[in-house]
Amino acid sequence: MLRLICCEFAKLKRKKFIWLVGLSAFLFPVPLTALMTMPQTAGQYDSKIDIFNDYFQFVMGYGVELLLPCVIGVMAAILFFMERDNDTFKNLRTIPITSTQMIFAKIIVLFFFGIIFSLASALISILCGGMIAEVNSIAYRLFFALEMGIFITAGTLPLVVLVVFFSKNYVFSVLLCVFYSVLSLTAESSFGALPKVICWLMPIPFTTLWSAGNLTAHGAMDGVGMLEYLIPTTFETIIILAVVALLSVILVDYMYKKRGDE
Amino acid sequence: MSKYVIETRNLTKQYGAQKSVARLNIHVQKGRIYGLLGRNGAGKTTTMKMLLGLTQPTSGEVAIWGKPLAANEKKLLPRIGSLIESPGFYPNLTATENLRIFATLRGVPNRNAIKNALDLVGLPYKDRKLFSQYSLGMKQRLAIALAIMHDPELLILDEPINGLDPIGIAEVRSFIRNLCNERGKTILISSHILSEIALLADDIGIIDHGTLLEEESLEELETKSSKHIRFTVSDTAQAARILERSFHENQFTIQDDHNMRLHNLNISIGKIVTAFVENGLEVSQAATSEESLEDYFKRVTGGEGIA
Repeated sequence: MLRLICCEFAKLKRKKFIWLVGLSAFLFPVPLTALMTMPQTAGQYDSKIDIFNDYFQFVMGYGVELLLPCVIGVMAAILFFMERDNDTFKNLRTIPITSTQMIFAKIIVLFFFGIIFSLASALISILCGGMIAEVNSIAYRLFFALEMGIFITAGTLPLVVLVVFFSKNYVFSVLLCVFYSVLSLTAESSFGALPKVICWLMPIPFTTLWSAGNLTAHGAMDGVGMLEYLIPTTFETIIILAVVALLSVILVDYMYKKRGDE
Repeated sequence: MSKYVIETRNLTKQYGAQKSVARLNIHVQKGRIYGLLGRNGAGKTTTMKMLLGLTQPTSGEVAIWGKPLAANEKKLLPRIGSLIESPGFYPNLTATENLRIFATLRGVPNRNAIKNALDLVGLPYKDRKLFSQYSLGMKQRLAIALAIMHDPELLILDEPINGLDPIGIAEVRSFIRNLCNERGKTILISSHILSEIALLADDIGIIDHGTLLEEESLEELETKSSKHIRFTVSDTAQAARILERSFHENQFTIQDDHNMRLHNLNISIGKIVTAFVENGLEVSQAATSEESLEDYFKRVTGGEGIA
């Protein structure tokens, strides 16, 4: 499996989008740094610690929870369309490598990018935050970013199912990703109105609820107010997202096998 | 131990109502080149895909080295090198990088395997040119390099000379011949070009509309298609006795109750016809046939389509 994963990375050599993934990790932290230094914004806070807490929340909220699903979706389109577009599936099948092995390798690569993106966002926010506010709990924030990278990637796997199912071009996949993120964002803005079961069944809003609870518990956020009843524990989050990820992998595997037989 | 490296038993592939391959029985012997000849769309590629487990047969069985492929893919496939349809590689990588990926996945132990394979097909090692910048001929050479890189015992090559220039075709032909003669590889090659198969293959299978029409050695086919005298008589068994008794001739083949061929053209047709008639046989046709191998294939497949 390790060989297969290494080869998945080797296949991405010279792919310009990979650099864009790296750059997109800066997309929110840099302008948010500028925003937080503006007097009308900075003036709202009592201390520099509060400024950094909110700044970090914004970076993780917009950068990771909003942008990362799009990045993962497009990465999935690149990885999963690669064999189809280049007609290399037959070369792999005759080695023999099964479609299940191939899917696992590709999904592990997605998790890798998800974690790197999330950690990079956290690191950049710590670096930029150091310039405008008082950075605190660095170790916790990095661990939180690691968890977020894993959870958001797992929560984006249903989107990967859709990308593989429709197997259209890259533009269609990007549209699906944007739709998924907007849908999640809409659900997040309706937390009080939506039933708990809906909030928990939508992986990205569900992760947002967990992140809010986790940040509050570690003193990095003021509180969740009326939404307390919606906050899942880390254990619940792991279980639900693991089930979502497992079902998604099974579905992708089924579709890949079915198409391979055609 | 099976006599054949590849053996199919009633291999059938059906897409909807259409049978792409129907009850196919091919037999590929060790250390020989088997040419699968057929027009475009005859079922050659589908057959090869089933031999590699890329497509599941609707019915029938594939045995490789005597073992059923379906249950032994993990053991059998690493011993096979293949080229199916168009070359499939990653366009953003060079030839060496592409081969390195497949060498890594195959666990090829020989460190020089990539260089050797590229040398053999005449492509540069560690060249900076990307696969997307390759010509069709270069892509085809790279696909052949991939097929041979892990030194397989059996090669399954689907139209390997596609896209190659005349010099390239001659090179590939000679190198395939050498793989068989010098390294003892068993090779299954498909083509719609009769001359290619005739120049390369030891055994030939003619496939048309998914059905195997003939399977013989090239020698046998050449004999069949060589010059002969064709007789249509009332009883070929009696005609054979007359030929043996009166003309001491045994170079003939009986096709059915009424048709036979005499391969010795030195005997006068008139004398034979007279002998037949005197012995009470009715002779409705006696003619010299000069059918070429190409004419023969056209007749067998029922028309044009094989160059």
